[in-house]
Amino acid sequence: MAKINRTRDRDIEIPQGSMGDIAFLLLLFFMVTTVFVQEKQFWVERDRWPKAQSIERIPRNNTATIYVMKNETILIDDVPSKIESEEDVYVRNALTAKKAENPEIVVCFRTDRETKYGAMSDVMRQLQDAQTLVVAFEAQQRD
Amino acid sequence: MKIARKRKGKASIPTASTADIAFLLIVFFMSTTKFDVKEGIKLVLPAMAPDSAEGKAETIQLGEDKMTRLQILEDGTIILNKEAARRIEDAELDAIIQQKLRQNQDMIFRVITDRNAKYDDMIRVVDRLKAQKAEKISLSTN
Repeated sequence: MAKINRTRDRDIEIPQGSMGDIAFLLLLFFMVTTVFVQEKQFWVERDRWPKAQSIERIPRNNTATIYVMKNETILIDDVPSKIESEEDVYVRNALTAKKAENPEIVVCFRTDRETKYGAMSDVMRQLQDAQTLVVAFEAQQRD
Repeated sequence: MKIARKRKGKASIPTASTADIAFLLIVFFMSTTKFDVKEGIKLVLPAMAPDSAEGKAETIQLGEDKMTRLQILEDGTIILNKEAARRIEDAELDAIIQQKLRQNQDMIFRVITDRNAKYDDMIRVVDRLKAQKAEKISLSTN
């Protein structure tokens, strides 16, 4: 009968000396790739938003923000404008361009709670013209 | 005189736990990172009727059993269907919406807001409708 050579058990060890380096590399990677969202100016402060209960969460990457200030100034991409007449189609043009870039765009309104509804109505009318139909009214969570 | 010289010991900083420290840092940042999301009331506006410009858009009359009118006036009072304008508090508004939804699951709520009414008043009504799971909400102005 052939004799089977039994291999001798060796001490197997995984070197762990570089574990710290790996962890720090990971840390550095996340620190370098993190991008902080920065807005040039916060035109309507959060405490001026209306309060609501049935709030949904909307991921930021598909959104465009329209600020509507109390004096009915409308800001898209920090460019102020005002809707004075029916022929004024600034909002429509701006949103049509955004819709072309991202068809799944959600338009978020950051409107001062004291704003008159007429201004919002005019903006929404132009959103319909631009076919950007999904909107969100940003609000603070009510207790 | 002979001065006793201290023997130099081998100085070393223990580095075995650096990995633990680094992982703790990673875990800390992972657990405290908050992804930026927006919070608000989401609504889908109706598309423009294709030939509304030529005035051909079809209009249908809906009775009170199918549609509820909530007209918000400048001072924040609400006209419910054909009732007199009055201030409706949240709890009462909830009860009205629930009752209407029990009558008809597909009830359409038409929120008509005065151009001079406050945005806050409109949001309050839409929020109540959303909170009561009303799905068919229409916004308009006069």
